[in-house]
Amino acid sequence: MSLGSTTTLTDVSRRLAPHALPITLLAIVIAFAVAQPAFLTPDNLIGIVRQVALIGIMATCTTFVIMTGGVDLSVGPVLALAGLVSFYCLQADLPLAIVVLAGLSVGLLVGLANGAVIAFLQLPPIIVTLASLSMVRGSALIVGGPEQHLIRDEPAYTFIGAGNLFGVPSPVYLFALVALVMIFIQRSTPLGLLVTAIGDNERAADLSGHRTRVTKTMVYAISGLGAALAGIIQSSQVHTALATYGPFGTELDVIAAVVLGGTSIMGGNGSVARTLLGVFFLGVLNNGMNILDVPIDIQLIAKGVIIVVALAMAARGT
Amino acid sequence: MAGMPIIRGVGLTKIYGNLVALTDANFAVMPGEVRALIGSNGAGKSTLVKILTGAVAPTLGTVEIAGEAAPLGNPRETIRRGVACIYQHSNLAPAMSVLDNIFLGRQPTRWLGLIDRRRQRREAVALLDRHGIDLDLDATVGSLPAVKQKEVEIMKALALDARAILMDEPTGWLAASEVAKLHATIRMLRARGVGIVYISHVLNEIFSVCDTITIMRDGKIIAESAVADIDRPRVVHLMVGEKLARESAQASHQKRHPRGTGEARLRAHNLTKRGVFKDVSFDLYAGEIFCITGLIGSKRTELVRTLFGSDRFDGGTLEVEGQPATFRSPVGAIARGIGFVPEDRHREGLMLNMSVTENLAMAMLGRFRRGFLLSRGRMVDAGRRAISILSIQPPDGKRPVALLSGGNQQKVLVGKWLNRAPRILILDEPTVGIDVGAKAEIYAILRRERELGAAMLVVSSDLEEVMTLADRIGVMVAGRLAAIHDADTTQMDEIVREIGGVAA
Repeated sequence: MSLGSTTTLTDVSRRLAPHALPITLLAIVIAFAVAQPAFLTPDNLIGIVRQVALIGIMATCTTFVIMTGGVDLSVGPVLALAGLVSFYCLQADLPLAIVVLAGLSVGLLVGLANGAVIAFLQLPPIIVTLASLSMVRGSALIVGGPEQHLIRDEPAYTFIGAGNLFGVPSPVYLFALVALVMIFIQRSTPLGLLVTAIGDNERAADLSGHRTRVTKTMVYAISGLGAALAGIIQSSQVHTALATYGPFGTELDVIAAVVLGGTSIMGGNGSVARTLLGVFFLGVLNNGMNILDVPIDIQLIAKGVIIVVALAMAARGT
Repeated sequence: MAGMPIIRGVGLTKIYGNLVALTDANFAVMPGEVRALIGSNGAGKSTLVKILTGAVAPTLGTVEIAGEAAPLGNPRETIRRGVACIYQHSNLAPAMSVLDNIFLGRQPTRWLGLIDRRRQRREAVALLDRHGIDLDLDATVGSLPAVKQKEVEIMKALALDARAILMDEPTGWLAASEVAKLHATIRMLRARGVGIVYISHVLNEIFSVCDTITIMRDGKIIAESAVADIDRPRVVHLMVGEKLARESAQASHQKRHPRGTGEARLRAHNLTKRGVFKDVSFDLYAGEIFCITGLIGSKRTELVRTLFGSDRFDGGTLEVEGQPATFRSPVGAIARGIGFVPEDRHREGLMLNMSVTENLAMAMLGRFRRGFLLSRGRMVDAGRRAISILSIQPPDGKRPVALLSGGNQQKVLVGKWLNRAPRILILDEPTVGIDVGAKAEIYAILRRERELGAAMLVVSSDLEEVMTLADRIGVMVAGRLAAIHDADTTQMDEIVREIGGVAA
């Protein structure tokens, strides 16, 4: 038998399949750049990162949840409620640190509650966070009512979302920071290893002497924190807090980014770094189609098709 | 030979990438023949079976079913032509009835696609009569003993007019008395002209039920013989090669150490879990291997889970090193120096997609913690040491555990406790489904731990294993620890009688 004498097309495709996403990303970047040279300008590229910062922060923070085989549908309303809580703290003239901590604590508390119910009562994550999506949205409407709350004359607070350092908007720094911290946690702490272990085989992790329920609770808390941070940034960016921010579909964009990155929706395999790839993929797609003036209806359809194609290609590699 | 083989593979070769899994294998089974297929893990048995069942297509070679060329790599068509396979793990729907399982996916239908229940039952009854198998068609499969579930799978195959049945480790989950029942069924099938391929690691079974034997090693068929013309040492020798054969022979002449050093590490007194086990009392000593055996369903697994804190008991007392112990979770048990190797390494033991190194570290992440951080470097070092001590093959810490052979997976699972130097190690069926060579290696590892002073509790259904390994033997019958023997003064038939005790 002669082996490897001919390199067939299927060999090539099998070898490339694990890199389907970066390759496709590169391909659409080139396509957009050829079609519209304005796409590749530094301003536009930084603009893309700024646009994806909110989804990106939420997606990196919820990657662990999905790696444990769970899901967090409550990120949208948490984003809204965190913005509102920060707004009222600003109204009360509290110091900036307290304002931010109060906003973040919304995410922490919702996340802990989600996680505790899922881990200790052993209820399915999709139902628990769906219920919490509804409850948190309701709470946001009680707290904020239907009207927009303008954030005026709070330069320190609005710098968080609308500021600019060395020509780069501040949300980009925050996104980079969150991404680095999450990658670090995954690669270099016991928590990161344990998250993978739980996703791979929760029962075995249990029998190896790990407090898997505590870990699962923490993972939802991290996801909640990410959503709350996104809420603070958004309210600061648009100088407004509103109970309906983070509308229906936000959670789907977040999950799409994570899953596009190659994290298995069944748990186990996954990585924060790859989630970033998924985030940029969606961001580039949106931005490029906007620049090319693709109508929104066509954009939605194209986005769906491209996501499925990219996932199908990635699936062949495993 | 008279007649024509039911299934025949000619010149079968299978190449995966750079790996040659099977080389020029010729294999045939005649009607009414029970042919053993034996070989270490990685010898090419499963590749051969996959080709015969159509699960994969061979790179070279052909398969004939009843003299006609069979389609390659087409499982559906292969089944239609009468070749069925019964896998080690059940493919039944446990919540459905026996009848529904037999016809699952191809129920006879009437007008509008409604299931023709009367015809289904009529056909099933005829089938049971024809083969003389006794099954309650309305019983829920999940409630049946393991051997009955195997019979349901056999019926399922026969309902498809299977003329050749491949059985992969058919007794892996059966207790000793159940094995005899399964063998009776196999003999009956043989008498009716069904050809059977019996894939097993258990030599006793092969010598009791098979007519012919095919031995594989390193992707090749290295010997074929009538079972009557070959003896066990010769089979082991052919299977594992020179060196391992010698070691495993030596292993069975080990000295026994009942009650080890005399220091009681664990004392169970009248341990009870309502409806499960009752009044179980025993002591476990440092430096001994105490084996608990019994039928499946005698609640051995449930008992040891309680000792490890994975389940709770509701009566009696448990002492660990003289101190009372009531564990609420494995965390507490591990803190007191107990390690536990569960029975099902895939479902409960290993993180299959994670690396060997990570799996080996899983029970002692605390040791690799530096403040907030995980020291990957130290983890890799510890992994490398463990891989060399346990001789895990291939010696590659980065490899996902899923890609290891069953025997090497089991070494990882046992090995993850050893670095903790456990005071007490509990192992539930530590060698289920692994080959003779790997078994010998696991035994050597356990003996070494015993010499180091660990107290070991081994649950096993494999009597050969119990007789080889144990210093003392406990027999569990229907939730009670019926007897405890010193292994050096006990004969195997005595244990067999006791196991059957109340249940038989």
